[in-house]
Amino acid sequence: MSDCDRIQEWLGAWLDGELPQARSAEVKLHVEKCAACAAEKVRIQRLDAALKRALEARVSDAAFAPFWAGVRERIAQEKSPRQRVFDWMRRGVAFPRIAWGVPVAAVVLIALFSTIRPSGWFVPSNQASVESIDGHGFNVALLREAKTKTTVIWLFENQETEDENPVEPAASEQAF
Amino acid sequence: MELTERDLIRNCQKGDSAAYEELTAKYYRRVLMVILGIVHHREDAMEVAQETFYKGFRNIKSFQGGSSFYTWIYRIAVNLAIDFQRRQKRAVADSRENMDDVVVASESLGTDPYRELRDRELGERLLAAIDELTPDHKAVILMRAVEGLSYKEIGRIMGCSEGTVMSRLHYARKKLQEKLGPDL
Ligand SMILES: [Zn+2]
Repeated sequence: MSDCDRIQEWLGAWLDGELPQARSAEVKLHVEKCAACAAEKVRIQRLDAALKRALEARVSDAAFAPFWAGVRERIAQEKSPRQRVFDWMRRGVAFPRIAWGVPVAAVVLIALFSTIRPSGWFVPSNQASVESIDGHGFNVALLREAKTKTTVIWLFENQETEDENPVEPAASEQAF
Repeated sequence: MELTERDLIRNCQKGDSAAYEELTAKYYRRVLMVILGIVHHREDAMEVAQETFYKGFRNIKSFQGGSSFYTWIYRIAVNLAIDFQRRQKRAVADSRENMDDVVVASESLGTDPYRELRDRELGERLLAAIDELTPDHKAVILMRAVEGLSYKEIGRIMGCSEGTVMSRLHYARKKLQEKLGPDL
């Protein structure tokens, strides 16, 4: 790898002010002497500036009032937990709701059987385990019972969790 | 007297939606810019941005001020946008339809007609080129070039190390430079 190749690897980070002091000084010194790397530096600056300008232009006519109206509408549509339970029960007579009731009852029964067994019979591998997976807009609970090899999959609507990071970090795929 | 951001957040946490409206007004364009760079379609970007601020409102009580509101809302925005982009399966040809927006919206830029024309053309090509990057690469370059976030902040938002941010950024810039060739 030539000197210029090595410097150009670091040019972006140098412009971003993200290099350690010693390396930053090395890049600076090189760029002052090398026309090719100085030109490369300008190209990076132009690229960043052009990207910013292009996006600014695309949002320049996005007015606040209709934007906020969309946010407010989402907030207004939100139902309280109590309202959700009420709605669920009100529609409970419909067949699909009854169908949901079956796995829910199974979850409760298996959970009960796996915990009230007399201690002498207790075998850890026979315990039922419940796992919860967060899907898109839904929670998926898996209940596995080892002895009868029963798996119950339970889907239910996502209730927002109150944490500092409401959305999980993007999966860090190594895509380069 | 104008309220500080901290006051606004405190009021939001007490359920004051007017305070949240004020915070949204302050940041919606910047959030929209980054989302637009990731999802490309303007209408999709609007939806994702509105969903971002809605989620922000729902979760504002959990915001403890460990980071700035702006980094916090960005984290929601970028993750929703990347998630959206990964799920959408639109044809590339279809994704070009909104390119006319660039022409219309950039009318207001600058006064030099030559520069305007050059900027407009470059902007169109750039937005087409960026659409070919992976969502992770897009997010990193947008957060840096558009928002000037530090590698540390970007790493926190993306859930990756500063070293990964640096390599992704280097790769993304290189790819865009290759696509744009001598136009830069
Ligand atoms: Zn050089």
